[in-house]
Amino acid sequence: MDLKTEVLIIGGGATGAGISRDLALRGIPSLLVEKGDFTSGASGRNQGLLHSGARYAVSDLEAAKECIIENRILRRIAPHCIEDTDGLFVSLPEDGTEYRATFLRACAEAGIDTLPLSPREALSMEPKLNPRLIGAVQVPDGAIDPFTLVVENARDAESRGARFLLHTEVTGLIRDGLRITGVRAKDRITGNEFTIAAPWVINATGAWANQILAFAGLTIGMALSKGSMLITNTRLSERVINRCRPPASGDIIVPNDTVSILGTTSLRVEDLEHYEVTPEEVSFLVEELSKVIPAIREERFTRAYAGVRPLVQLAGVSDDREISRGFALIDHGSVDGLTGLITITGGKLMTYRLMAEKTADFICERLGLHVPCITHSQPLPGAGRGHTLKDRLLRLRHQIPASRGELLCDCELVPRETIDAILREGKVRELQDILHRTRLAKGTCQGGFCVYRLLGVLNEMRKETVLGGSNRALRDFLEERWKGIRPVLWGTSLKEEELIESIYKGLFNLAPEATLPPGGGDL
Amino acid sequence: MKRWDLIVIGMGLAGLTAAKAAAEKGAKVLIVGRGMGSVTLFGNTIDLLGEIPPGKDMQGDLTRWIAAHPHHPYAKTGWAGIEASLGAFRSLFPPPYTFDTVGSGNSLVPTGVGTLRPSYLLPATMTAGVGMSPSDTIIVGLKGFKDFQGDTVSLHLQCRGVNLSLPRYGLEGLTAIALARLMDEESFRERLGEAIRSQMAGEKRVGLPAILGVSAPADVLKTLEAITGAKVFEIPMLPPSIPGLRIFHRFREALIAQGVTFLMGNPVTAAKVKEGRCEEITVHNPPIATVFRAENYILATGRFLGGGLWADMERITEPLFHLPVFQPESRGLWFRERFFQPEAHPIHRAGIVTDEDLRPVDSEGRVLLRNVRAAGSILAHHEAIEGHSSEGIDIATGNLAAGRALSS
Amino acid sequence: MMPADKTPTPPRNLPDVCVRCATCMAVCPVSRVTPRFPGPKQAGPGAQRFRSASDVSVDDWIELCTACRLCDTVCPAGVPISELNLMAKAKYLDERGRTFRDWLLVRSDLFGELASRFSRIVNPLMKNPTLRWLLDRLLEIDRRRTLPEYETPTFRQWFAARPVMSETVGRPQIAYFYGCFTNTNEVDVGKASVALLEAYGYSVGIPPQRCCGIPRLGVGDLRGAREMGLRNLSLLLPVVREGIDIVFSSTSCGLMLRHEYGPLLHLPDAEELARRLFDICEFLLRIQQEGSRTVRFQSPAMKAAYFAPCHMKSLNIGLPALELLRSLLGIDIPLIEAECCGLGGLYGFKKEKYAITEEIGRDLAKEVARIDPEVILTDCEGCRMQIRQLTRRRVLHPVQLLRDMLNRA
Repeated sequence: MDLKTEVLIIGGGATGAGISRDLALRGIPSLLVEKGDFTSGASGRNQGLLHSGARYAVSDLEAAKECIIENRILRRIAPHCIEDTDGLFVSLPEDGTEYRATFLRACAEAGIDTLPLSPREALSMEPKLNPRLIGAVQVPDGAIDPFTLVVENARDAESRGARFLLHTEVTGLIRDGLRITGVRAKDRITGNEFTIAAPWVINATGAWANQILAFAGLTIGMALSKGSMLITNTRLSERVINRCRPPASGDIIVPNDTVSILGTTSLRVEDLEHYEVTPEEVSFLVEELSKVIPAIREERFTRAYAGVRPLVQLAGVSDDREISRGFALIDHGSVDGLTGLITITGGKLMTYRLMAEKTADFICERLGLHVPCITHSQPLPGAGRGHTLKDRLLRLRHQIPASRGELLCDCELVPRETIDAILREGKVRELQDILHRTRLAKGTCQGGFCVYRLLGVLNEMRKETVLGGSNRALRDFLEERWKGIRPVLWGTSLKEEELIESIYKGLFNLAPEATLPPGGGDL
Repeated sequence: MKRWDLIVIGMGLAGLTAAKAAAEKGAKVLIVGRGMGSVTLFGNTIDLLGEIPPGKDMQGDLTRWIAAHPHHPYAKTGWAGIEASLGAFRSLFPPPYTFDTVGSGNSLVPTGVGTLRPSYLLPATMTAGVGMSPSDTIIVGLKGFKDFQGDTVSLHLQCRGVNLSLPRYGLEGLTAIALARLMDEESFRERLGEAIRSQMAGEKRVGLPAILGVSAPADVLKTLEAITGAKVFEIPMLPPSIPGLRIFHRFREALIAQGVTFLMGNPVTAAKVKEGRCEEITVHNPPIATVFRAENYILATGRFLGGGLWADMERITEPLFHLPVFQPESRGLWFRERFFQPEAHPIHRAGIVTDEDLRPVDSEGRVLLRNVRAAGSILAHHEAIEGHSSEGIDIATGNLAAGRALSS
Repeated sequence: MMPADKTPTPPRNLPDVCVRCATCMAVCPVSRVTPRFPGPKQAGPGAQRFRSASDVSVDDWIELCTACRLCDTVCPAGVPISELNLMAKAKYLDERGRTFRDWLLVRSDLFGELASRFSRIVNPLMKNPTLRWLLDRLLEIDRRRTLPEYETPTFRQWFAARPVMSETVGRPQIAYFYGCFTNTNEVDVGKASVALLEAYGYSVGIPPQRCCGIPRLGVGDLRGAREMGLRNLSLLLPVVREGIDIVFSSTSCGLMLRHEYGPLLHLPDAEELARRLFDICEFLLRIQQEGSRTVRFQSPAMKAAYFAPCHMKSLNIGLPALELLRSLLGIDIPLIEAECCGLGGLYGFKKEKYAITEEIGRDLAKEVARIDPEVILTDCEGCRMQIRQLTRRRVLHPVQLLRDMLNRA
């Protein structure tokens, strides 16, 4: 199954998918390989914040300007991936009024609209805020759904000739003298190994950039910074809430559908494959953010997760927050003498489109094509956002009991037809692929009931290819779920866990060493 | 003010057992609890100890096991106490809906994911599942009833499976209790029986989700077996548990008939202790707080789900009497890195430590409350979930606590 | 304290403690008989995560909840499910508007007195098939529902016309809250209550009182319920402040006065009233156990059975009526094993809900047929109405049987 393409993109995050789409819109088909599912990296493990740029206005004016421009572009081209929540920058007594004044001036300079609010106004808008606040500023922050954003980019690219291979890992770079001519790849599900020949290879792997470069004996200066987040069971605020002070950890609360995401921290890590949310981080986030919304102290958390940010390193700076969020486009031909390979890294979700634009510009120039970028104005396709919380609640209506019987996820009101639609698209190869594409298992019990039902439905449809054995998939799911739940197990979450263990370890006796059925094989 | 002989705090299987045992001895009993206990969620059979292999004699093996586990709640009751409590439990279920062993020890019963689970006492509606083989069994699922996935079960048990729908009854969206209620009707179960029979190909056993009626499970079984000509058994599924509900209803009926005061719906929020004795407890039904007094009390409030234990970000506490809770040193040690592993998470062994009489003790072994006894899963040093011993611990210690309380 | 004109906001500040165990689903009488109601797990804490105060309510299933409160009694986590449902219903109906029928039905205290006065015309009229057909079509009051008859004189009138007791001096005083239904439709329950209290040596007083307001809750009219509550408090608080306890014979009235005025409606001083308010059987049981006065009762010759109303379970005082009947009459009275009669108060009168009411009631009817009693006893007038219609048997309040057995001794 050896393949050929003009442009090979490694990495299925926002950057990679964005590049694929940009090139496709310019008439250049590409092939993208990703070792997991879309957004396996930082794109899938952030706080889902559509920055207005206000957060950077004081410390990094250029970044802020860049941000607000991209913010407006994204609202124009991807409204269905965005919830227009607005944001508040809240000043507590210890934050003082001086920073607030500086903040307002800087936002004005960056071109970010602001609206100062009195404490009373802020509290009537967001009743859960700390009543001791001394003021707030409204800014055009929003909440963005990175997965939909990336999938939409990919879909559009695909409709214009681009190709995607998920669950495909690059195992080596192929050199011909001083030129990279392709990669060696492996399908992680079938184990099948093959090669892909490509005159241009774009390393868009984010934090994994050096792992790919190592295949050619290269490296770039990059720091890895872990950021941890907590998810609450209920939505604490309608708007994004920031702390109005110099950016620090434990500053931000982002609403997301039925929940809120609290974040974040910033700790160096060395090992990309093994990192976790530590109890200290959890305690820190609860402590720090309950200063902004006191109810957080008693709040119930359903999950914790962490993502690793790739930070392009400048010499001599130790606090990762100071390293520019700016991105780097590295042409290894001119830097290392190895042509045909470029790396695009750094940056953040907000600037993916800009990073893709610069990368696509570079490729076009090398290919001798003069086609301008249109991603700033070409809207992403895809159905209107449609599914507000209220719309989902309509699924309980009593005129249609038949459809309610097919509600698989009670917590998030996800019906069977959603799953059918995902399966029809034909891209899913394992259970997590389905789970990424729906809100099933993202609610209160984190899949305790609905994954059993989902697997049953898949068994009914004889979808063994998706499962590799339904009980094994169920165990794998529970093990994966465990990583997110373990850091937040106390209070009510602990009760939930007792319920889940009683069902799966007790009632269903699902442990791997459990007694085998008469026929012998536990699948 | 009226004084009871015994107040049982907690309405799970341990509390119900204790109340029944005491009432039968002629005591004036009050039982108070917030809900129906986990038996209505996952209970349906009586598990003693899952690790005793099927076919082995339970008394001998369990007695040896107990000797090797001197801190386990079973060490307080001994085999004799366990046997007595099983007899008391079984006496609540006269024929035809009886609880029995199949053989002399544990049996393996099919589960809702098609694995097998060891259990000891089975209701009449589940015995036919023991010893099933792929060639002689058919699993019947019901379309639209999503808490039982028949294809998952038949896939893993490697036997035939069918999914039935009875359009006239609109099975889409029906819950377990709605289905069980329909099964209590002769005409419905006849139709279901016919539908099953038309799909069979000579199988000798039929496995159904555990919805074989709430009030008349033996009748349901009889009708279905008569029509299908096969042995029928029910398979437990996602909560709530209909067989568990049957157990709860039976206890409630018996307790009320015996004159036990039955207060369900509000928890006990305070206990007044003086000089090592509990003097009274308070039940809060807002805005009224009512005080009750008894000679003896039994604390059978369960673990985290039941509210007997509570964990904040640092420690585990027992919220009513503020008893010391045996527990790992810090939250970081509560749970292991992986969900599935050979040994249960350390937090599951946490709980209340007691003397031989089930009275709570401090770290030096001194009795903290002379007239309060702990029973059920709130006790320390057991692994009820993974050890498949939940019901056994509940009824054995519940029975013992009642006996000791009344003879003290 | 909430200002009188402010409707209480939904309890969203309560920590979200639902663990999705679905125990509530095992007891809900409505979701058990129809898939049209998603059940307490979904309708209450489940849907609450999707609701927003600023968004229009879409909870059209919420009207199917009967407010039996059985879900609350079994929830291991203490989720206030029926309160969540009630708040959702209030918002939904506030936005959609309530029907004229609902406006009318919750004001039964107003036209009740009128109907009693003209009961000789009203009662046959309420049986007239044409009128029932009209009420069914125009007002959607189901024609299958047997409407309760009005009596004249009302209980109040009867009590006022009684000769004053000669030896009231030295007798302890007790006040009686009779409730609308006893007043205009089941006067004998009131008479029996008075007779028993007097037999135990009490001097009974009937303080000025209004409808407790629980029908308003049934249509989510929190403002109306608060108004009525405030009125009642102003009338009843002076009584308890004189040191006089109040008993009620209507379970639902008792639940409203004792457990909803304060915790749900946040009415001032409601707790003070609650502490002096008792169910009549609860009260008589206590006196009987204190043993200060012995009263003799004869054992009934007939076979009786007792049904525990849903709201009695919410009062969470056990089953004092059953205990009282057993200890005073010396007989074993079986408990009818059914969770809910299905009427749900005014719920069972409404055409769009009648089928549900009937289906829930079938379980009760089946049990009654199995036990085959000559008389069924239950404290709640709604249950009595429903059981009469379902079984065509004799149904009494426990105090009525006790009074009958008292007189014969």
